[in-house]
Amino acid sequence: MKPDLTTTIKGLRLKNPVTVASGTFGTTDEYAGYVDPKKLGAIITKTITVKPREGNPMPRICETTAGMLNAIGLQNKGLEDFVEQKIPYFKKIGVPLIVSIAGESAGEFGKLAKTFDGLKSVVKALEVNLSCPNVEAGGVNFMKKQERILDAVKAVRDQTDLLTFAKLSPELGDVVEIAGKVLEQGMDGISLINTLRGMAVDIRTRSSRLAKDFGGLSGPAIKPVALRYVFQVKKAYNCPVIASGGITDANDALEFLIVGADLLAVGTANFVEPRATLDILKGIESFCVKEKITNLDRLRGSYRTADTGKGK
Amino acid sequence: MAKKLSDETVTVLENKKINGKYYKLAFLSAALSKGVRPGQFLQVLINEGKDPYLRRPFSYYRVTGRRIEILYEVLGRGTAILSQKKKGDTLKVMGPLGNGFTVALGKKKRVLIAGGVGVPPLVFLAEKASVARLLIGTKSKLEVVPQRELKKVKTKVLYATEDGSCGFRGLVTALLEKVIMKEDPRELFLQTCGPRRMMEVVIALARKYGIEGEASWDETMACGVGACLGCMVKTKDGLRRACADGPVFRFEDLAL
Repeated sequence: MKPDLTTTIKGLRLKNPVTVASGTFGTTDEYAGYVDPKKLGAIITKTITVKPREGNPMPRICETTAGMLNAIGLQNKGLEDFVEQKIPYFKKIGVPLIVSIAGESAGEFGKLAKTFDGLKSVVKALEVNLSCPNVEAGGVNFMKKQERILDAVKAVRDQTDLLTFAKLSPELGDVVEIAGKVLEQGMDGISLINTLRGMAVDIRTRSSRLAKDFGGLSGPAIKPVALRYVFQVKKAYNCPVIASGGITDANDALEFLIVGADLLAVGTANFVEPRATLDILKGIESFCVKEKITNLDRLRGSYRTADTGKGK
Repeated sequence: MAKKLSDETVTVLENKKINGKYYKLAFLSAALSKGVRPGQFLQVLINEGKDPYLRRPFSYYRVTGRRIEILYEVLGRGTAILSQKKKGDTLKVMGPLGNGFTVALGKKKRVLIAGGVGVPPLVFLAEKASVARLLIGTKSKLEVVPQRELKKVKTKVLYATEDGSCGFRGLVTALLEKVIMKEDPRELFLQTCGPRRMMEVVIALARKYGIEGEASWDETMACGVGACLGCMVKTKDGLRRACADGPVFRFEDLAL
């Protein structure tokens, strides 16, 4: 029998828990030749900002051990273009859309939230990006001052009753503590984790292999860190969590499910294997069949902690 | 409508070192060899593990029926692993990706300027299309592609070596200027691929003499399909993606 993978987050019903991490699935149909997007539980968009952004100079990409650094810098054509040019595409394909938003100020976060509140037939949730490592205003450095995070999430909450997820990174400070505070401000859930800032040096030129000194590390290299934070936040608040960080195959996805993740956002793996999301979905299904799990919620959060678990 | 693209597991037919610089790898695939234009590329998954993680882009070097060849240099960890592949090993390959060079040029005389990673796609183009000149720049004779690899090239190949050990002594761009001087620039069309500095000089020469042309302008890529926005190129119309909007751009469109 086919296991029931339906994932419900505060009334939002998704056919399965597999989605894509912001910025890793193109702007619209770049992967449509490989993946039928309708098969995904949801799509998380590339981060949208109020004004268009050119992003950072090249090189923006560099491979590192079991992962990569990126310094894209939130390149996007801005809110107006997204609403006019991209929303119709997502409306047509009819997949629940989670829009990732980033502002340079609380006012911009509010404006973005208000705009998408008016598009509820297509947009089902917002991911509030508070932790981009590659931009100044609104980026991870800027947001280290906690009142800025709280102002941003308040501004979002004031403008919309859409489901909202705060995307956090350990670079902001104590993730578990910050998660608690943004939930108090009315965020519905947490998205964990954004990329971690790292470096790579060209020993010949003694300069960065990126056009900037730092980039955001993603891929299998950060998976254990992501898994730990998903576990900790889930344990502390039992709130909805979107997990991302190196999910490459079904085993990775199952680990995140077991520690309680609600959604599994496949990121850098899309760049390597365009069908990664569907392979992962299939792998989760076969695991459930093999383990006689009829409903995914039986597996979700079934982790046995090391201090109380049996046989660990 | 999104392009239907192929992603296949292929079996290595041969993989051998052909000179001091290049390895040649061959495999068969019907889907990956269909309608390929020189300048298009493949994304090759070097290993199934998680490190190295990303695919590597390689230009098509030759397509004969279903047989596809790539010519590559060992430049890092990924290509070092690739160079160890044996006949019968498998690779996952996506393609054909990107936009290739213009093949039909009407009455224009095609001059190709290649260096380094630009040699394979331009040799491929010189096999497919009528070419007035194929200019290849290398450091020395050691890196010159063996004559048996150039049998199907429809023109004489002119070499420029920095140490003078083969052909013209000096940079290939100096050789190009000599070639241009002998021709009517209005009749020429340049197509180039290779090191950044070389292509910049080629484009500067084209502007100086009023010659049209195309450059395969790549940047470090992750996805190869236009999703990650890692490989942007500055053009007159703003930033474009090397992998999906290029890698071949008209000289006049590039904002250098």
